[in-house]
Amino acid sequence: MNARVDRTPTGDDPRLDVAESQRLIAASQERARRGLEPDGRLLFGTWAVAWGVGYTILWVSARDTGASPGGVAFAVFFALLATAVAITIVHIVRRTAGTRGPSARAGALWGWGWPVGFSVYGLILGGIADAGASDAVIGLVANALACVIVGLMYLGGAACFGEARLYGLGVWIILVAGAATFAGMPTTYLVMAAAGGGGFLVMAVVEVALAARRRRTGTPAPASTAVGRDAA
Amino acid sequence: MSDLDPVIHAPARLRVVAALAALPPDEEITFPKLQKLLDMTAGNLSTHVRRLEDAGYVRVTKTHAGRRPATYLTLTTAGRRAFEDYTTTLNDLLRGAGA
Repeated sequence: MNARVDRTPTGDDPRLDVAESQRLIAASQERARRGLEPDGRLLFGTWAVAWGVGYTILWVSARDTGASPGGVAFAVFFALLATAVAITIVHIVRRTAGTRGPSARAGALWGWGWPVGFSVYGLILGGIADAGASDAVIGLVANALACVIVGLMYLGGAACFGEARLYGLGVWIILVAGAATFAGMPTTYLVMAAAGGGGFLVMAVVEVALAARRRRTGTPAPASTAVGRDAA
Repeated sequence: MSDLDPVIHAPARLRVVAALAALPPDEEITFPKLQKLLDMTAGNLSTHVRRLEDAGYVRVTKTHAGRRPATYLTLTTAGRRAFEDYTTTLNDLLRGAGA
């Protein structure tokens, strides 16, 4: 009787509508991801520079003095680390602010592991210095312990957030701890720069490549919400 | 062919639901953060959130962060399921249309 009641929710051309819906879903989820998850490119890139440049400066200085790196080299090194820490904290706090729940709580608990670990790091180095450790021993322990803390934190973070790549980096950084110790002075700094900083650099490059692929192919939605897989 | 859920099948609400579905289950997001993520006006977002809340798809929790009021949003289990059904239907439509 009434010819106008045959309108469907999908309109006259459901196919067009479906494509547009898919585009909206992908775009919204990409925006959510960008706005909520830390950017691996920025973080790994920052730490690649801090370790790569910082430890190279220590290595060059230690080679020149024939013993421990000089004061200026350490000042530059600590300035680089402090900058990297500041960038990391500001970026992560900005990205993760405004959410709450089990995942946000787990992230916060994990995040506080860093200041806990590195406060004790300072105490341990102070303690072995007081006990009469030589500059060479302090230098080796400082490098190895930093790698062990960073590596184990990555393993924990990877398990917590289901990040397989981060797990791989954690294993690598822990291996660097062993290699940097056996390398001895002053080569330990070169190992930290090349293998440690290099590890971060590889991760940064991988993240850049993955981001480029996401832009090309659209965001892979979570398995339960994937709508793009059959569309290509 | 099943119809697309009309509560979700509107551009603004689809964007809201898709963004909320990107959060882990039980994770809540503040109203201003979601507004910033989606680049929507507060009035527009609250209109659509109310519709989704009425449908039982979104849970709105008003609380206080210190002295400031804070509004948290999350997809309910029904909302997450409705979004999954929606995307499944989209896929079915695509397969049908592409055949």
